[in-house]
Amino acid sequence: MSESTERDQRFALLMRAAQAGDRAAYARLLHELIPLLRRAVHRQRALLKPQDAEDLVQDILLSLHAARRSYDPARPFLPWLMAIVRNRVADGARRYISRSAHEVVVDHLPETFSDADPNTIDGRYGDPEALRLAVKALPDGQRRAIELLKLREMSLKEAAAHSGASIAALKVSVHRGMTALRRMLAGKDA
Amino acid sequence: MDTDALIQELANSAAPVQRLPAPRARMLIWLALSAPFLAVIWLVMPSEINPVATIADRRFLIEEAALLVTALTAALAAFGSVVPGYDRRILLIPLLPLAVWLASLGEGCWRNWVALGANGLTLRADWDCLPPAILIGVVPSIAMVVMLRRGAPLLPRISVALGALAVAALANLGLRLFHVGDASVMVLFWHLGGAAVLAGLAALAGRRVLYWRHAAT
Repeated sequence: MSESTERDQRFALLMRAAQAGDRAAYARLLHELIPLLRRAVHRQRALLKPQDAEDLVQDILLSLHAARRSYDPARPFLPWLMAIVRNRVADGARRYISRSAHEVVVDHLPETFSDADPNTIDGRYGDPEALRLAVKALPDGQRRAIELLKLREMSLKEAAAHSGASIAALKVSVHRGMTALRRMLAGKDA
Repeated sequence: MDTDALIQELANSAAPVQRLPAPRARMLIWLALSAPFLAVIWLVMPSEINPVATIADRRFLIEEAALLVTALTAALAAFGSVVPGYDRRILLIPLLPLAVWLASLGEGCWRNWVALGANGLTLRADWDCLPPAILIGVVPSIAMVVMLRRGAPLLPRISVALGALAVAALANLGLRLFHVGDASVMVLFWHLGGAAVLAGLAALAGRRVLYWRHAAT
Protein backbone atom coordinates (compact mmCIF):
# COMPACT_ATOMS: atom_id res chain seq x y z
CA MET A 1 0.00 0.00 0.00
CA SER A 2 1.45 3.40 -0.97
CA GLU A 3 2.21 6.05 1.63
CA SER A 4 -0.41 8.45 0.29
CA THR A 5 -3.13 5.78 0.39
CA GLU A 6 -2.16 4.92 3.93
CA ARG A 7 -2.28 8.58 4.90
CA ASP A 8 -5.66 9.01 3.22
CA GLN A 9 -7.03 6.04 5.14
CA ARG A 10 -5.70 7.44 8.42
CA PHE A 11 -7.41 10.77 7.72
CA ALA A 12 -10.61 8.95 6.75
CA LEU A 13 -10.58 7.02 10.04
CA LEU A 14 -9.98 10.17 12.06
CA MET A 15 -12.78 11.97 10.22
CA ARG A 16 -15.15 9.07 10.79
CA ALA A 17 -14.35 9.28 14.52
CA ALA A 18 -14.79 13.07 14.42
CA GLN A 19 -18.21 12.68 12.81
CA ALA A 20 -19.15 10.41 15.70
CA GLY A 21 -18.15 13.16 18.16
CA ASP A 22 -14.58 12.10 19.06
CA ARG A 23 -13.04 15.51 19.79
CA ALA A 24 -9.50 14.22 20.33
CA ALA A 25 -9.53 12.50 16.94
CA TYR A 26 -10.89 15.65 15.35
CA ALA A 27 -8.21 17.87 16.92
CA ARG A 28 -5.53 15.38 15.79
CA LEU A 29 -6.92 15.32 12.27
CA LEU A 30 -6.98 19.12 12.00
CA HIS A 31 -3.44 19.40 13.39
CA GLU A 32 -2.20 16.82 10.89
CA LEU A 33 -3.90 18.64 8.03
CA ILE A 34 -2.33 22.03 8.76
CA PRO A 35 1.02 21.48 6.93
CA LEU A 36 -0.87 20.04 3.99
CA LEU A 37 -3.25 23.00 3.87
CA ARG A 38 -0.41 25.53 4.15
CA ARG A 39 1.37 23.84 1.24
CA ALA A 40 -1.82 23.78 -0.85
CA VAL A 41 -2.51 27.46 -0.18
CA HIS A 42 1.08 28.39 -0.95
CA ARG A 43 0.95 26.40 -4.21
CA GLN A 44 -2.24 28.09 -5.37
CA ARG A 45 -1.65 31.61 -3.99
CA ALA A 46 2.12 31.88 -3.80
CA LEU A 47 2.09 35.69 -3.64
CA LEU A 48 -0.10 35.97 -0.56
CA LYS A 49 1.36 37.63 2.52
CA PRO A 50 1.98 35.09 5.32
CA GLN A 51 -0.86 36.49 7.47
CA ASP A 52 -3.33 36.39 4.55
CA ALA A 53 -2.24 32.83 3.73
CA GLU A 54 -2.83 31.81 7.36
CA ASP A 55 -6.25 33.48 7.28
CA LEU A 56 -7.06 31.38 4.23
CA VAL A 57 -5.91 28.21 6.02
CA GLN A 58 -8.21 29.09 8.92
CA ASP A 59 -11.06 29.75 6.49
CA ILE A 60 -10.51 26.27 5.03
CA LEU A 61 -10.61 24.76 8.53
CA LEU A 62 -13.90 26.51 9.24
CA SER A 63 -15.32 25.31 5.92
CA LEU A 64 -14.16 21.76 6.58
CA HIS A 65 -15.88 21.98 9.96
CA ALA A 66 -19.11 23.27 8.39
CA ALA A 67 -19.08 20.58 5.69
CA ARG A 68 -17.95 17.64 7.80
CA ARG A 69 -21.29 15.88 7.61
CA SER A 70 -20.90 15.66 3.81
CA TYR A 71 -17.86 13.38 4.07
CA ASP A 72 -18.59 9.74 3.32
CA PRO A 73 -15.93 7.52 4.99
CA ALA A 74 -16.37 4.98 2.20
CA ARG A 75 -14.79 7.51 -0.20
CA PRO A 76 -11.21 8.85 -0.20
CA PHE A 77 -10.64 11.76 2.16
CA LEU A 78 -8.12 13.91 0.27
CA PRO A 79 -10.24 14.56 -2.86
CA TRP A 80 -13.03 15.67 -0.49
CA LEU A 81 -10.65 17.99 1.35
CA MET A 82 -9.01 19.37 -1.80
CA ALA A 83 -12.39 20.25 -3.32
CA ILE A 84 -13.01 22.44 -0.27
CA VAL A 85 -9.50 23.90 -0.50
CA ARG A 86 -9.94 24.83 -4.18
CA ASN A 87 -13.31 26.40 -3.44
CA ARG A 88 -12.07 28.51 -0.54
CA VAL A 89 -8.89 29.58 -2.37
CA ALA A 90 -10.94 30.64 -5.41
CA ASP A 91 -13.43 32.45 -3.16
CA GLY A 92 -10.55 34.18 -1.36
CA ALA A 93 -9.15 35.36 -4.70
CA ARG A 94 -12.60 36.58 -5.76
CA ARG A 95 -13.01 38.52 -2.51
CA TYR A 96 -9.53 39.99 -2.92
CA ILE A 97 -10.27 41.14 -6.48
CA SER A 98 -13.62 42.64 -5.52
CA ARG A 99 -12.01 44.44 -2.54
CA SER A 100 -9.17 45.74 -4.70
CA ALA A 101 -11.64 47.05 -7.28
CA HIS A 102 -13.06 49.38 -4.63
CA GLU A 103 -9.71 50.60 -3.36
CA VAL A 104 -7.97 53.67 -4.74
CA VAL A 105 -4.23 53.96 -4.21
CA VAL A 106 -3.11 57.53 -3.75
CA ASP A 107 0.29 58.98 -2.92
CA HIS A 108 -1.06 61.74 -0.72
CA LEU A 109 -4.35 61.67 1.07
CA PRO A 110 -6.22 64.81 0.07
CA GLU A 111 -6.95 67.30 2.78
CA THR A 112 -10.68 67.40 3.24
CA PHE A 113 -11.04 70.42 5.46
CA SER A 114 -8.59 73.00 6.62
CA ASP A 115 -9.62 72.31 10.19
CA ALA A 116 -7.13 70.14 12.09
CA ASP A 117 -9.58 67.54 13.42
CA PRO A 118 -10.62 65.84 10.17
CA ASN A 119 -7.00 65.54 9.03
CA THR A 120 -5.59 63.49 11.85
CA ILE A 121 -4.77 60.57 9.54
CA ASP A 122 -2.32 59.03 11.93
CA GLY A 123 -4.58 59.49 14.89
CA ARG A 124 -5.21 56.28 16.81
CA TYR A 125 -7.24 55.47 19.82
CA GLY A 126 -4.74 55.21 22.59
CA ASP A 127 -6.79 52.74 24.55
CA PRO A 128 -8.19 49.79 22.56
CA GLU A 129 -9.84 48.43 25.69
CA ALA A 130 -11.76 51.68 26.14
CA LEU A 131 -12.88 51.46 22.50
CA ARG A 132 -13.98 47.85 22.97
CA LEU A 133 -15.99 48.77 26.06
CA ALA A 134 -17.48 51.80 24.33
CA VAL A 135 -18.60 49.62 21.37
CA LYS A 136 -20.05 47.11 23.83
CA ALA A 137 -22.00 49.87 25.56
CA LEU A 138 -23.75 50.93 22.35
CA PRO A 139 -27.41 49.99 21.77
CA ASP A 140 -27.79 46.69 19.87
CA GLY A 141 -28.58 48.17 16.44
CA GLN A 142 -25.72 50.66 16.54
CA ARG A 143 -23.25 48.06 17.83
CA ARG A 144 -24.24 45.65 15.08
CA ALA A 145 -23.85 48.35 12.42
CA ILE A 146 -20.43 49.36 13.75
CA GLU A 147 -19.28 45.73 13.90
CA LEU A 148 -20.38 44.93 10.36
CA LEU A 149 -19.40 48.14 8.60
CA LYS A 150 -16.39 49.36 10.56
CA LEU A 151 -14.83 46.31 12.19
CA ARG A 152 -15.57 43.67 9.56
CA GLU A 153 -15.39 46.25 6.78
CA MET A 154 -18.44 44.94 4.95
CA SER A 155 -20.06 47.06 2.28
CA LEU A 156 -23.51 48.51 3.07
CA LYS A 157 -25.05 45.97 0.71
CA GLU A 158 -23.29 43.03 2.36
CA ALA A 159 -24.13 44.29 5.84
CA ALA A 160 -27.79 44.75 4.86
CA ALA A 161 -27.95 41.22 3.46
CA HIS A 162 -26.26 39.86 6.57
CA SER A 163 -28.25 41.72 9.20
CA GLY A 164 -31.60 41.93 7.46
CA ALA A 165 -31.70 45.70 8.14
CA SER A 166 -32.21 48.16 5.29
CA ILE A 167 -29.26 50.15 3.92
CA ALA A 168 -30.86 53.39 5.11
CA ALA A 169 -31.29 52.00 8.65
CA LEU A 170 -27.67 50.84 8.67
CA LYS A 171 -26.45 54.27 7.56
CA VAL A 172 -28.40 55.93 10.36
CA SER A 173 -27.23 53.36 12.94
CA VAL A 174 -23.57 53.61 12.00
CA HIS A 175 -23.70 57.41 12.01
CA ARG A 176 -25.34 57.48 15.43
CA GLY A 177 -22.96 54.79 16.68
CA MET A 178 -19.88 56.72 15.53
CA THR A 179 -21.20 59.92 17.10
CA ALA A 180 -21.88 58.11 20.37
CA LEU A 181 -18.42 56.49 20.31
CA ARG A 182 -16.72 59.84 19.71
CA ARG A 183 -18.70 61.32 22.60
CA MET A 184 -17.89 58.41 24.92
CA LEU A 185 -14.19 58.34 24.05
CA ALA A 186 -13.85 62.10 24.21
CA GLY A 187 -15.44 61.95 27.67
CA LYS A 188 -12.86 59.36 28.66
CA ASP A 189 -9.92 61.40 27.38
CA ALA A 190 -11.10 64.55 29.11
CA MET B 1 -6.91 34.12 16.11
CA ASP B 2 -4.05 31.68 16.36
CA THR B 3 -4.59 28.55 14.20
CA ASP B 4 -3.90 26.17 17.09
CA ALA B 5 -6.48 27.99 19.20
CA LEU B 6 -8.97 27.78 16.33
CA ILE B 7 -8.41 24.02 16.03
CA GLN B 8 -8.99 23.61 19.75
CA GLU B 9 -12.17 25.66 19.53
CA LEU B 10 -13.46 23.65 16.56
CA ALA B 11 -12.60 20.36 18.27
CA ASN B 12 -14.35 21.44 21.47
CA SER B 13 -17.49 22.35 19.57
CA ALA B 14 -17.51 19.19 17.45
CA ALA B 15 -20.75 17.46 18.38
CA PRO B 16 -21.59 14.20 16.58
CA VAL B 17 -23.04 14.86 13.14
CA GLN B 18 -25.42 12.83 11.07
CA ARG B 19 -23.72 11.96 7.80
CA LEU B 20 -25.47 13.02 4.60
CA PRO B 21 -26.81 10.03 2.70
CA ALA B 22 -25.39 9.48 -0.80
CA PRO B 23 -26.80 11.83 -3.50
CA ARG B 24 -28.82 8.97 -5.02
CA ALA B 25 -30.49 8.28 -1.67
CA ARG B 26 -31.13 12.00 -1.14
CA MET B 27 -32.74 12.17 -4.60
CA LEU B 28 -35.15 9.42 -3.56
CA ILE B 29 -35.84 11.15 -0.24
CA TRP B 30 -36.66 14.37 -2.13
CA LEU B 31 -38.99 12.44 -4.44
CA ALA B 32 -40.61 10.73 -1.45
CA LEU B 33 -41.24 14.14 0.13
CA SER B 34 -42.57 15.70 -3.08
CA ALA B 35 -44.59 12.89 -4.66
CA PRO B 36 -47.34 12.63 -1.97
CA PHE B 37 -47.93 16.39 -2.26
CA LEU B 38 -48.17 16.07 -6.02
CA ALA B 39 -50.63 13.19 -5.61
CA VAL B 40 -52.81 15.21 -3.22
CA ILE B 41 -52.97 18.12 -5.66
CA TRP B 42 -53.74 15.76 -8.51
CA LEU B 43 -56.64 14.32 -6.49
CA VAL B 44 -57.95 17.71 -5.37
CA MET B 45 -57.66 19.64 -8.65
CA PRO B 46 -60.32 19.01 -11.30
CA SER B 47 -58.61 17.04 -14.05
CA GLU B 48 -59.38 17.65 -17.72
CA ILE B 49 -57.52 14.51 -18.72
CA ASN B 50 -59.20 11.37 -20.02
CA PRO B 51 -57.08 8.59 -18.43
CA VAL B 52 -57.88 6.01 -21.16
CA ALA B 53 -56.92 8.31 -24.01
CA THR B 54 -53.86 9.46 -22.10
CA ILE B 55 -52.46 5.97 -21.58
CA ALA B 56 -52.69 5.41 -25.33
CA ASP B 57 -50.93 8.67 -26.19
CA ARG B 58 -47.34 7.64 -26.76
CA ARG B 59 -46.03 11.18 -27.14
CA PHE B 60 -47.62 12.21 -23.84
CA LEU B 61 -46.07 9.22 -22.09
CA ILE B 62 -42.63 10.02 -23.56
CA GLU B 63 -42.97 13.63 -22.39
CA GLU B 64 -43.99 12.59 -18.89
CA ALA B 65 -41.20 10.02 -18.66
CA ALA B 66 -38.64 12.58 -19.88
CA LEU B 67 -39.92 15.06 -17.29
CA LEU B 68 -39.69 12.52 -14.47
CA VAL B 69 -36.16 11.52 -15.47
CA THR B 70 -35.18 15.19 -15.84
CA ALA B 71 -36.50 15.92 -12.35
CA LEU B 72 -34.67 12.94 -10.85
CA THR B 73 -31.36 13.48 -12.63
CA ALA B 74 -31.40 17.23 -11.91
CA ALA B 75 -32.04 16.46 -8.23
CA LEU B 76 -29.25 13.86 -8.29
CA ALA B 77 -26.86 16.38 -9.88
CA ALA B 78 -27.88 19.11 -7.41
CA PHE B 79 -27.26 16.83 -4.41
CA GLY B 80 -23.99 15.60 -5.93
CA SER B 81 -22.83 19.18 -6.42
CA VAL B 82 -22.94 19.89 -2.67
CA VAL B 83 -20.64 16.96 -1.87
CA PRO B 84 -16.95 17.97 -2.06
CA GLY B 85 -14.93 15.74 -4.37
CA TYR B 86 -17.99 14.22 -6.07
CA ASP B 87 -17.55 13.51 -9.78
CA ARG B 88 -18.51 16.74 -11.57
CA ARG B 89 -19.63 14.86 -14.70
CA ILE B 90 -22.84 14.20 -12.80
CA LEU B 91 -23.81 17.81 -13.48
CA LEU B 92 -24.29 17.01 -17.17
CA ILE B 93 -26.61 14.02 -16.72
CA PRO B 94 -29.89 16.03 -16.72
CA LEU B 95 -29.09 17.30 -20.22
CA LEU B 96 -29.98 13.93 -21.73
CA PRO B 97 -33.61 13.65 -20.53
CA LEU B 98 -34.00 17.38 -21.07
CA ALA B 99 -33.00 16.85 -24.69
CA VAL B 100 -35.57 14.03 -24.98
CA TRP B 101 -38.29 16.33 -23.62
CA LEU B 102 -37.23 19.09 -25.99
CA ALA B 103 -37.15 16.66 -28.93
CA SER B 104 -40.61 15.33 -28.12
CA LEU B 105 -42.00 18.89 -27.96
CA GLY B 106 -40.18 19.81 -31.16
CA GLU B 107 -41.64 16.80 -32.90
CA GLY B 108 -45.11 17.84 -31.65
CA CYS B 109 -44.60 21.35 -33.02
CA TRP B 110 -43.57 19.90 -36.36
CA ARG B 111 -46.69 17.70 -36.51
CA ASN B 112 -48.95 20.63 -35.62
CA TRP B 113 -47.33 22.75 -38.29
CA VAL B 114 -47.77 20.02 -40.91
CA ALA B 115 -51.41 19.47 -39.90
CA LEU B 116 -52.54 23.05 -39.27
CA GLY B 117 -49.92 25.28 -40.84
CA ALA B 118 -49.13 28.54 -39.05
CA ASN B 119 -52.33 28.15 -36.94
CA GLY B 120 -50.77 25.13 -35.27
CA LEU B 121 -47.98 27.27 -33.91
CA THR B 122 -50.05 30.09 -32.45
CA LEU B 123 -49.01 31.24 -29.01
CA ARG B 124 -51.48 32.61 -26.49
CA ALA B 125 -51.20 33.52 -22.86
CA ASP B 126 -52.61 30.83 -20.58
CA TRP B 127 -52.39 32.31 -17.11
CA ASP B 128 -54.85 29.74 -15.71
CA CYS B 129 -52.12 27.18 -15.36
CA LEU B 130 -49.76 29.49 -13.45
CA PRO B 131 -51.34 29.17 -9.95
CA PRO B 132 -51.44 25.34 -10.00
CA ALA B 133 -47.87 25.28 -11.37
CA ILE B 134 -46.69 27.44 -8.46
CA LEU B 135 -48.75 25.40 -5.98
CA ILE B 136 -47.26 22.13 -7.21
CA GLY B 137 -43.75 23.55 -6.79
CA VAL B 138 -44.13 24.64 -3.16
CA VAL B 139 -43.21 21.46 -1.29
CA PRO B 140 -40.55 20.23 -3.77
CA SER B 141 -38.90 23.70 -3.65
CA ILE B 142 -38.82 23.89 0.14
CA ALA B 143 -37.55 20.31 0.40
CA MET B 144 -34.88 21.02 -2.23
CA VAL B 145 -33.58 24.19 -0.56
CA VAL B 146 -33.51 22.62 2.91
CA MET B 147 -31.69 19.56 1.59
CA LEU B 148 -29.17 21.54 -0.47
CA ARG B 149 -28.32 23.75 2.50
CA ARG B 150 -27.21 20.68 4.43
CA GLY B 151 -24.37 20.16 1.95
CA ALA B 152 -21.30 22.22 1.09
CA PRO B 153 -22.00 25.33 -1.05
CA LEU B 154 -19.21 24.71 -3.55
CA LEU B 155 -21.12 25.69 -6.70
CA PRO B 156 -24.05 27.67 -5.32
CA ARG B 157 -25.38 28.97 -8.64
CA ILE B 158 -25.20 25.59 -10.38
CA SER B 159 -26.59 23.68 -7.39
CA VAL B 160 -29.58 26.00 -7.02
CA ALA B 161 -30.21 26.12 -10.78
CA LEU B 162 -30.21 22.30 -10.92
CA GLY B 163 -32.52 22.19 -7.91
CA ALA B 164 -34.86 24.63 -9.66
CA LEU B 165 -34.74 22.52 -12.83
CA ALA B 166 -35.71 19.45 -10.79
CA VAL B 167 -38.64 21.32 -9.21
CA ALA B 168 -39.74 22.80 -12.57
CA ALA B 169 -39.64 19.40 -14.27
CA LEU B 170 -41.68 17.83 -11.47
CA ALA B 171 -44.16 20.72 -11.54
CA ASN B 172 -44.51 20.35 -15.31
CA LEU B 173 -45.06 16.64 -14.91
CA GLY B 174 -47.78 17.27 -12.35
CA LEU B 175 -49.37 20.04 -14.37
CA ARG B 176 -49.65 17.87 -17.46
CA LEU B 177 -51.51 15.26 -15.40
CA PHE B 178 -54.58 17.44 -14.96
CA HIS B 179 -54.16 20.16 -17.53
CA VAL B 180 -55.54 19.29 -20.94
CA GLY B 181 -52.91 18.73 -23.63
CA ASP B 182 -51.97 22.05 -25.19
CA ALA B 183 -50.42 22.47 -28.58
CA SER B 184 -46.75 21.54 -28.36
CA VAL B 185 -45.67 25.08 -29.09
CA MET B 186 -47.57 26.28 -26.00
CA VAL B 187 -45.88 23.65 -23.84
CA LEU B 188 -42.54 24.43 -25.45
CA PHE B 189 -42.86 28.15 -24.81
CA TRP B 190 -44.63 28.30 -21.46
CA HIS B 191 -43.56 25.10 -19.73
CA LEU B 192 -40.00 24.73 -21.01
CA GLY B 193 -39.55 28.51 -21.11
CA GLY B 194 -40.88 28.73 -17.55
CA ALA B 195 -38.45 26.05 -16.41
CA ALA B 196 -35.56 27.87 -18.10
CA VAL B 197 -36.52 31.22 -16.54
CA LEU B 198 -36.91 29.61 -13.12
CA ALA B 199 -33.52 27.90 -13.38
CA GLY B 200 -31.93 31.17 -14.56
CA LEU B 201 -33.42 33.18 -11.70
CA ALA B 202 -32.40 30.47 -9.25
CA ALA B 203 -28.84 30.63 -10.57
CA LEU B 204 -28.79 34.40 -10.04
CA ALA B 205 -29.99 33.95 -6.46
CA GLY B 206 -27.67 30.97 -5.88
CA ARG B 207 -25.17 32.76 -3.67
CA ARG B 208 -27.92 34.11 -1.44
CA VAL B 209 -29.42 30.66 -0.97
CA LEU B 210 -26.23 28.64 -0.54
CA TYR B 211 -23.20 30.15 1.14
CA TRP B 212 -20.59 29.33 3.75
CA ARG B 213 -22.16 30.68 6.89
CA HIS B 214 -18.88 31.38 8.68
CA ALA B 215 -17.66 33.44 5.70
CA ALA B 216 -20.83 35.53 5.75
CA THR B 217 -20.49 36.62 9.38
